[in-house]
Amino acid sequence: MPKQKKDKYFEEILERNKHKIFRICNIYAIPPIEAQDLFQEVVYQIWKSLDTFKSNSSIDTWIYKISINVCLRSKMKLDKNYSKTDRLESIHFTPIEEEIDISEQKKFKYLKECISTLNETDTSLTVLYLDDLSYKEIAGITGLSENHIAVKMKRIRKKLFECITPKIN
Amino acid sequence: MNVSLQKSTKMLEQKLKDIWNNSSQSRQISIETKKLTEELNTKINSIQKKIRSRDIREISASIIGILLFGYLLFEIPFPITKVACGVAIVWFVFIIGKFRKSKLQNTKTDFSLTVAEQLNNQKTMMLQQSGLLDSSLYWYAIPPFLMNFIFILGLENPIDYNWTNSIAESLLPLTSNSKIITLIGLALFYAFTFWVNKRALDKDLKPTIESIEKMQQQIKNE
Repeated sequence: MPKQKKDKYFEEILERNKHKIFRICNIYAIPPIEAQDLFQEVVYQIWKSLDTFKSNSSIDTWIYKISINVCLRSKMKLDKNYSKTDRLESIHFTPIEEEIDISEQKKFKYLKECISTLNETDTSLTVLYLDDLSYKEIAGITGLSENHIAVKMKRIRKKLFECITPKIN
Repeated sequence: MNVSLQKSTKMLEQKLKDIWNNSSQSRQISIETKKLTEELNTKINSIQKKIRSRDIREISASIIGILLFGYLLFEIPFPITKVACGVAIVWFVFIIGKFRKSKLQNTKTDFSLTVAEQLNNQKTMMLQQSGLLDSSLYWYAIPPFLMNFIFILGLENPIDYNWTNSIAESLLPLTSNSKIITLIGLALFYAFTFWVNKRALDKDLKPTIESIEKMQQQIKNE
């Protein structure tokens, strides 16, 4: 891919997917690893692999695969280099101060707590489900069959609902 | 009853999806793309540079070994020691090949695979590395120790061969005492090398393989 075209494409897909990537990283980030560290690792892997992306699959699915794989890899402790000193200066995370809905933040905190009770692979299915992906799309990302996902999601949903319902009501 | 339960489940599901989607709105993520691509290219170059210098370091140690034993092969007159020098050169070539093969197998991390494929891939890579460390006693510790043992054992009295080389003579353990001390030192060195590899296997690789297997099991379970 020519450099200029690659830069433009990278900018587009990053802009479109940055919040989605951050949500996933935020769930998998457990101190000392922070969501920003995982986010920039995902961005790095996207940049590194962009030339090998095959256009016969969806770019969004491809980004989900990279995000989930990077986050799971951090859980396996395969990468020990998520250091704050290596932070990229071109990515800025600024908390939005105006109109903070405390109750929404609390609800998310509860949701995160409930997701943290799930195992690593159930967590990946949950984040994809919460991002409103179909079972077919989840199957394409995880490599499981749609039926297998349906069975798993039934159990995960039950567990998640039992955990969250008393907290948010 | 069933319809109302389904309805409330759907509502809760949507509520959770809304909470989830709103969570990333609490912070603004701004990216300076031009600067980012520069930073990422710098990062890629710096990682490649590190890999290259590590490769050079590993290979140059073996090349120094080949040159040293090559020189000794031609210079030293003692037949048994000559054989040990020849075997040592073959071993250094084998080590270069082994490191290169292992590196080729370990650089294939593809993050765009499905989660299940990625876990399989990681496990295969980890098992290869663990096999390499686990067997290090048989290819990285015992063979060079035996070569050194034969090399030292083969050292004879230079006068018997009318051989004079002041540098080699001052470096080689020619007396019985210096031979014993050198062999003990070498045995300790290779035992330490083996211990370091074993420790890396137990401390890093085995727990990683276990965590990959745990995830694979989780993914299989319904």
